[in-house]
Amino acid sequence: MIGNDIIDIHETRTSTNWNRVGFTEKIFTSKERSIIADSADPFTAVWRLWSMKESAYKIFIQGGGKPFFNPTKLECNFHSSKKGVVKIDTRIIETSTIISSDYIFSTAVINYADIDTSIFQLNESNGKYQSDFMRQQVLNDFAVSHSLHGGDLKIQKTKAGVPKIHYRNNPLDASLSITHHGKFGAYSILKN
Amino acid sequence: MISDKELMINELKTIVEPYIQDKEAFENLHEETDFMNDLKINSANLIDVILDVEDKYDIELDNDSMDKMLNIKAALEVINAKVSEK
Repeated sequence: MIGNDIIDIHETRTSTNWNRVGFTEKIFTSKERSIIADSADPFTAVWRLWSMKESAYKIFIQGGGKPFFNPTKLECNFHSSKKGVVKIDTRIIETSTIISSDYIFSTAVINYADIDTSIFQLNESNGKYQSDFMRQQVLNDFAVSHSLHGGDLKIQKTKAGVPKIHYRNNPLDASLSITHHGKFGAYSILKN
Repeated sequence: MISDKELMINELKTIVEPYIQDKEAFENLHEETDFMNDLKINSANLIDVILDVEDKYDIELDNDSMDKMLNIKAALEVINAKVSEK
């Protein structure tokens, strides 16, 4: 299983004020708030933690977990400038984060294998456009890398809202995660 | 105690408006409208909605209440329950 989350740094600076009174208390556990307080760059720490939670949550849902909206139920810890873990109930999910000057991108994985990740700069801000664009990229790249005919492939969501690549109407084993925010989009495919 | 549901839906509409990303769903907002799936409010901005609701009704929404607030109907129920506790 794989889950990812991208945060456009410029977009999030304008759309969300994390310094707003009460904001961090709603999202972060006291342990996480002390990580933020001790950080040399609290802004980056806040959004790295957030993207870790989002990516781990996607795995939780892929694994059949019941949807919830309570970010404090997921507790993160940093192990290095890239690696970290997210705890949900008794489950520990490993994450890896790339931080650039434009975006923060986290990937959470269970049963690590070969991951195929691509990050895109998007031209339009329309959410529907971005979502369609990202799906088309996944299918184009998947068709090329597996020598398949693009017309035989499509993406459908499961009942739980998890995207799956289908070949001639049959879902494939590979797990897929797609994210977009602001001017950036990314997909991750785990070959299993 | 707020009893006028329509009035409250309008108040909620005003609160969510700055964060919505689907105008059509917003224009057609009804009780079953889902904050994330229909209005496309991102999860960070959903926290803003929660904080705005707390300010507006002078209530505190704990994590359990937050967890329930997936659509307009559920939000109304949570708010009414909290307001009546005051």
